[in-house]
Amino acid sequence: MKDSFWFPIVFMLIIVIIFAGILSVMYRTSQPKIEAYQQETYQKLILGTVAAKLAEVTEETQQSIMDSYPESYQTHVQELDIPGLERRAFRAVVADSTIAYCFEIGGKGLWGTMQALVSTSTDFRTLLDLALVSQQETPGLGARIEEDWFLAQFRNRLFVINPESDTDVTGSYEFIAETQVPENDGQLKRVTGATITSDAVLKMLRDEMNHIYNYLRNKSL
Amino acid sequence: MTKKEIFLTAAFKENSIWRQILGICSALAVTNLMMNSLIMGLGVIFSLALANFSISIIRFWTPRSVRMMVQTLIIAAYVIIVDIFLKANMPEISKQLGPYVGLIITNCILMGRAEAFASQNNPLDSMVDGIGAGVGYTLVLLVISFFRELFGFGSVFGIKVFGAWWTNWSIMVMAPSAFFLLAILIWIINTHYYKVKA
Repeated sequence: MKDSFWFPIVFMLIIVIIFAGILSVMYRTSQPKIEAYQQETYQKLILGTVAAKLAEVTEETQQSIMDSYPESYQTHVQELDIPGLERRAFRAVVADSTIAYCFEIGGKGLWGTMQALVSTSTDFRTLLDLALVSQQETPGLGARIEEDWFLAQFRNRLFVINPESDTDVTGSYEFIAETQVPENDGQLKRVTGATITSDAVLKMLRDEMNHIYNYLRNKSL
Repeated sequence: MTKKEIFLTAAFKENSIWRQILGICSALAVTNLMMNSLIMGLGVIFSLALANFSISIIRFWTPRSVRMMVQTLIIAAYVIIVDIFLKANMPEISKQLGPYVGLIITNCILMGRAEAFASQNNPLDSMVDGIGAGVGYTLVLLVISFFRELFGFGSVFGIKVFGAWWTNWSIMVMAPSAFFLLAILIWIINTHYYKVKA
């Protein structure tokens, strides 16, 4: 029977149905948990990128703002619908006035795409803070771009140095070795063993800040 | 063979990495941090044990012409289960491991044990063999990652061991160090355990 023409086909079909069924059940039961976690993580990242600015204006601490999630998120963060920008956008508000914006940006890493959230000043020229949403870089090497010392280098950086230019309006920064001490404000430390990934992060920030500024410079939100 | 003998043979005497030189890609890739190695190892133990068990149960009905397709499908199903479980219950670790969980599917050890042991032995013995092979693989990963993390980051399982005086050895963070360490490990084991002469 095992040597017949139809047996291997029917056997394979039965095995596929059994295991696809097990996986479907497993996925369906875990899906709400995975989605709830993803949503909470995403909202906390948005709140985290604007927390310093919120703390400055409200005189609360960053920690207390983060601890009071989800109330603080509902009070201070609003999603914006900006036609044509093709990026999710949010604004941080305190007493009806906007104090910062937050955008979801993307770029190409070594192994796949990277997604990040950047908060900007209200004139879109300064990058206030950033957080990585997802990346597919090598664990222990490129994935170290998520470490705080690396991301902290980009905080409160003026990216749009020449606002009158219509083309490249972003500032120029260069990378130095992780163990070196920066000699000036334009030098940033790269992750050891992850040159391409470090460069990809900087390129993503330059390109996206450039795009956001040029798109929104003459628009009122 | 008793269950204990099956376990010890799979884990040490016929260890997948140092004896059969299987699963080298992941042994080189994930061993820069001990936590990555441990989780990868646990994922492999789980997938290997259950894949071996399932493949053994259906071994009398599996046609030879499609046996490798069946084995790959079963291995892939268990690996996806590990991936979904980590995403739902241990999201931080799932994030840290990134693409490596999915890559368990391509780990040669799983196909090797399915073909060499599970397709010819009873389900319980096959499961013990899977656990043994997984434990042996995990131990090698942990030994290599111990040295790489210690000298590369000055820490063990993320806990700082060396003070500020320590200068991290960049080479230990990069893949070539895993080649050196694995070669040294195989040399030591061949010389002292198997008494192999040059």
